[in-house]
Amino acid sequence: MNSLNFNIDFGYLEGLVRGFKSGIVKQADYLNLMQCETLDDLKLHLQSTDYGNFLSNEPSPLQVSIIDDKIREKLVIEFEHMRTQSVVPLSTFLDYITYGYMIDNIVLLITGTLHQHTISELIPKCHPLGSFEQMEALSIASTLLELYNAVLVDTPLAPYFIDCISEQDIDELNIEIIRNTLYRAYLEDFYKFCQTLGSTTADYMSEVLAFEADRRAITITINSFGTELTKDDRATLFPRCGKLFPEGHSALVRADDYEHVRAVAEFYSEYRILFEESGNNPTEKTLEDKFFEHEVMLMKKAFLEQFHFGIFYAYVKLKEQENRNIVWIAECVAQRHQTRIDGYIPIF
Amino acid sequence: MMKITIITGGMGSLYRSEEMASCQLFLQAEAAYACVSELGELGLVQFRDLNPDVNAFQRKFVNEVRRCEEMERKLRFLEKEIRKDEIPMLDTGDNPDAPAPREMIDLEATFEKLENEMKEVNANAEALKRNYLDLTELKHILRKTQTFFDEAMSDQGMTEESIVLLGEEAVKTSGQPLRLGFVAGVILRERIPPFERMLWRACRGNVFLRQTEILTPLEDPVTGDRVHKSVFIIFFQGDQLKSRVKKICEGFRATLYPCPETQAERREMSLGVTTRIEDLNTILSQTQDHRHRVLVAAAKDIKVWFIKVRKIKAVYHTLNMLNLDVTQKCLISECWCPIRDLEKIQMALRRGTERSGGSVPSILNRMETKEQPPTYNCTNKFTKVFQDIVDSYGVAGYREVNPAPFTIVSFPFLFSLMFGDAGHGTLMLLAAIAMVVFEKRILRQKSDNEIWNMFFDGRYIILLMGAFSLYAGLMYNDIFSKSINIFGSVWHPTSGEFSAEIIKTHKDLTLDPTNDTDYRGVPYPFGMDPAWQLSLNKIKWLNSFKMKISIIFGVGQMFFGVVLSLQNHRFFKDSISIFCEFLPQVIFLTCIFGYLIVLILHKWIAIDATDAGCAPSLLIGLINMFLLNYPEEPCSSRVPPGQKGLQSFLLILIILCVPWLLVLKPYILKRRYQATQQKSSSRLGTSTEDGKSAEDAIDGAIQDDSHGQYEEELNLLEIVVHQCIHTIEYCLGCISHTASYLRLWALSLAHAELSEVLWNMVFRVALKVDGYLGVISIYILFTPWACLTIAILLLMEALSAFLHTLRLHWIEFQSKFYKGDGYLFDPFSFDKIIESRADEV
Repeated sequence: MNSLNFNIDFGYLEGLVRGFKSGIVKQADYLNLMQCETLDDLKLHLQSTDYGNFLSNEPSPLQVSIIDDKIREKLVIEFEHMRTQSVVPLSTFLDYITYGYMIDNIVLLITGTLHQHTISELIPKCHPLGSFEQMEALSIASTLLELYNAVLVDTPLAPYFIDCISEQDIDELNIEIIRNTLYRAYLEDFYKFCQTLGSTTADYMSEVLAFEADRRAITITINSFGTELTKDDRATLFPRCGKLFPEGHSALVRADDYEHVRAVAEFYSEYRILFEESGNNPTEKTLEDKFFEHEVMLMKKAFLEQFHFGIFYAYVKLKEQENRNIVWIAECVAQRHQTRIDGYIPIF
Repeated sequence: MMKITIITGGMGSLYRSEEMASCQLFLQAEAAYACVSELGELGLVQFRDLNPDVNAFQRKFVNEVRRCEEMERKLRFLEKEIRKDEIPMLDTGDNPDAPAPREMIDLEATFEKLENEMKEVNANAEALKRNYLDLTELKHILRKTQTFFDEAMSDQGMTEESIVLLGEEAVKTSGQPLRLGFVAGVILRERIPPFERMLWRACRGNVFLRQTEILTPLEDPVTGDRVHKSVFIIFFQGDQLKSRVKKICEGFRATLYPCPETQAERREMSLGVTTRIEDLNTILSQTQDHRHRVLVAAAKDIKVWFIKVRKIKAVYHTLNMLNLDVTQKCLISECWCPIRDLEKIQMALRRGTERSGGSVPSILNRMETKEQPPTYNCTNKFTKVFQDIVDSYGVAGYREVNPAPFTIVSFPFLFSLMFGDAGHGTLMLLAAIAMVVFEKRILRQKSDNEIWNMFFDGRYIILLMGAFSLYAGLMYNDIFSKSINIFGSVWHPTSGEFSAEIIKTHKDLTLDPTNDTDYRGVPYPFGMDPAWQLSLNKIKWLNSFKMKISIIFGVGQMFFGVVLSLQNHRFFKDSISIFCEFLPQVIFLTCIFGYLIVLILHKWIAIDATDAGCAPSLLIGLINMFLLNYPEEPCSSRVPPGQKGLQSFLLILIILCVPWLLVLKPYILKRRYQATQQKSSSRLGTSTEDGKSAEDAIDGAIQDDSHGQYEEELNLLEIVVHQCIHTIEYCLGCISHTASYLRLWALSLAHAELSEVLWNMVFRVALKVDGYLGVISIYILFTPWACLTIAILLLMEALSAFLHTLRLHWIEFQSKFYKGDGYLFDPFSFDKIIESRADEV
């Protein structure tokens, strides 16, 4: 997969995704969106962006959830189009992107069934990119082994699941561990796959996935304070493909509070800045937001280079961020919460 | 009707674009809607957005626009339903006026009622259909499970209550027949394999699944799609497995139905189901009828409704671009409109005011502006295609010379030089005539085929291209690569020194043009002598002729282009450009290529067969002229005595033209600028002496000057760079463009050769066969010959010639005078809005 032959198989899709990218909502549009007073205003303004008439067949009054669904639907249509047009190895790469959503869906369904929700209530909440055909039968499993044997063994997630098979019943803490173990295995696998692709894809994706891994490691550590999760268990959840591995991980395992984590991040210039600029005051951005900002910055970098797959990943992530932004603004508009409305993360 | 008045009314309106005026419109608030709607019907006013900084949703009439969008949504919903039932929508071609704002409420109410009615009917139908689906599925289950049980019974001779999965073994081990539970249901056919796999895994193989396909596809009540489904029955043992199986069924969205265990009960149930299905069928058909009635009624009006709503929306959209007066009593708009139509616009405004019953008239006020007005060329169906060709290169600047009227002639002419074949020309002409004659009928059909529409839109240009090609073909004496001998060839091999015997035995003979008996001494009266078609040196002769023709016409067109630039300079009163650009350009072109044409004509006229050996070589001659090289040659004595001097003189002129073109204009502009500079500084000096209001004056002057100076200086640099580029482009361009016109010859040669090859390789094969076989072979081979002629020579070759002609016009011709930096006049017109929407749908 070198620059010379790239366009033969993937040139069309690369062009397509670059075209899609230019349709991402710009800062100027956000400024206009923020001035909206009702969701109908929002709809009117979104019409002038690339979203076009995607809401025109929805009767007033609008709901935020409808906007959310429609935005997501648009991304899914675009993604599905690219997936059907693609050939190996791009198709595999795109499949890998969906695995993340599959993990989220599985966890969502398990949690939902634990809380006695019926599957039909839960299915609409699942991300359509991560749906698979056995998904709806998830509720039959009561133990992890069963879950694996009956449901997941046919899915591409099966190899990731090996690590967390046990006869244990499923409970809250378990689920979080499952999610993070699955995600760890997924990220490491994705990382390995990208390395096999070589050239720019490997270079770019290793940077992106390293960030993703480190973000998870840091977030897991911070969230595990005050829970039953032991430090050893914590170590097993860290994806081992980031910049923090291995020294950072051993330091994080020992961490007892936020300050410790912060001290660990001191050694890594890119994360230090994030910690320095974040805070919990209402005027400051949270660490999560800073992570998102950093992610957006990384994703935008993908478009500076040609002939690699990173832009597909970046596009999906940027679209997701855009989705979050618009929904955030829409929520603020709907709840008349004008003070926090600028809490979105600008992309372009 | 309107278009005709435009052509006759404005002389030369295609030569330069319409004069436009920037106007201010004062509309009374209550009359604004009616006035704008009248203007929309007229379609002659381009509104400028006066609130570009205001968001779409903060504008004044945003609520009305939103209501229109809501109405459109309802109409789209209705349209979708109508389409689903395949009811034809009546397009009467009615064009109702934009309804008054108060009618909007009625419309809204109507649509609301219709939509609700539709939704209710749909909801009912869906419920009924779901019911119906359930019953049919149940019917299938009862029927299919019956066969399962029958098979089981016939296999083992057992009663159905004691069907044993594990066979004899199980009976033996447990000592008594196992009682198996079962569930029956229906599932989507494509879900069967994963379903089966999952059942096997989740129940560790302890269930038994039988399934069979339902042959007729069932209708999904929500989407209305036809889906294929399968009936399945699962046997299992024990309650734990039962709950698990049920969960899996739920997960795969299988619908389970109660299925009685005994045959008698099943039969009874089956009977009940059948009768209920019949009842449902009658109800369903009644609902369908009702729905159909509602939709048929809506289908009659829906097109008109669409037009009405779109007009209202367009009017409010335009009103949103207007400014509100401080007193809130009137709306102010700025717009462009053609000066010639001001009268009509005034009339429309008056009508609008009357219609709304307002007492104060709306006022149209012309105002001064520095902005460049839009370019508005009135076209009719004939000139439109030529204007489009020009516009797709670049829209002419305001009142710039428009190349379109010249293109009408030159385009088909240059095309015909390349496509010169009377046969192909005739075919093309006939096709175009057909399109023109049946124009109205074709227009009414509104075809969606893009390629066909492209041809159809270009029917008039094809018509002219066909006619010109016919003429060029006659000139070339080339009809499907054959010649016709109308006037009798002037070459006579028989009457000369060749006896009939020699002619018969020799394949090739040389005819001597100096010999009176071989050559009559006068040229063939019209076009090419047919004898050339047979000669061996046909290509050589034609090449020489066509190349020269190409140069002559090409240089002619370029010269014409330069002359048009004079028209532009004169019109814009740009005397510097006349003396510093036009003049050197003309001299440059005439001295090189004008002289070349003179040489060509001289060679044609002055040199005949007797002194053919001494014919001057044009290319070498031109090169030698630049090298100042006059070698001694055998024929040197025939060179006219003054030629050397003349050529040197021309060369000096040519060389002089370059610095003239390059330096003079920027120099003059600089001098002028310095002069104004001095004047203003002296004025500054005098005003300070006055003392009294000196300070104000200085302030004003400084402000003026600093502004102007900055601009000037910037411009000066720009002018120099621009002039550099212009000079290089023109001087090199003249040479390369002349060479470029040789494509006229090249394409013509390619066309002629291709058509000859096609004739010789395909059709001539058939003509060579004698007797009855010949008839058959002609019959067979005509088809491929005709098909290839149409596909390759008529379509592909014509396309290629068309593109080359396009290039010659855009680059070689228009670069001589055409700036094309304007923008199109885009009036607010209902017709355009409705048409474009129709395309979208």
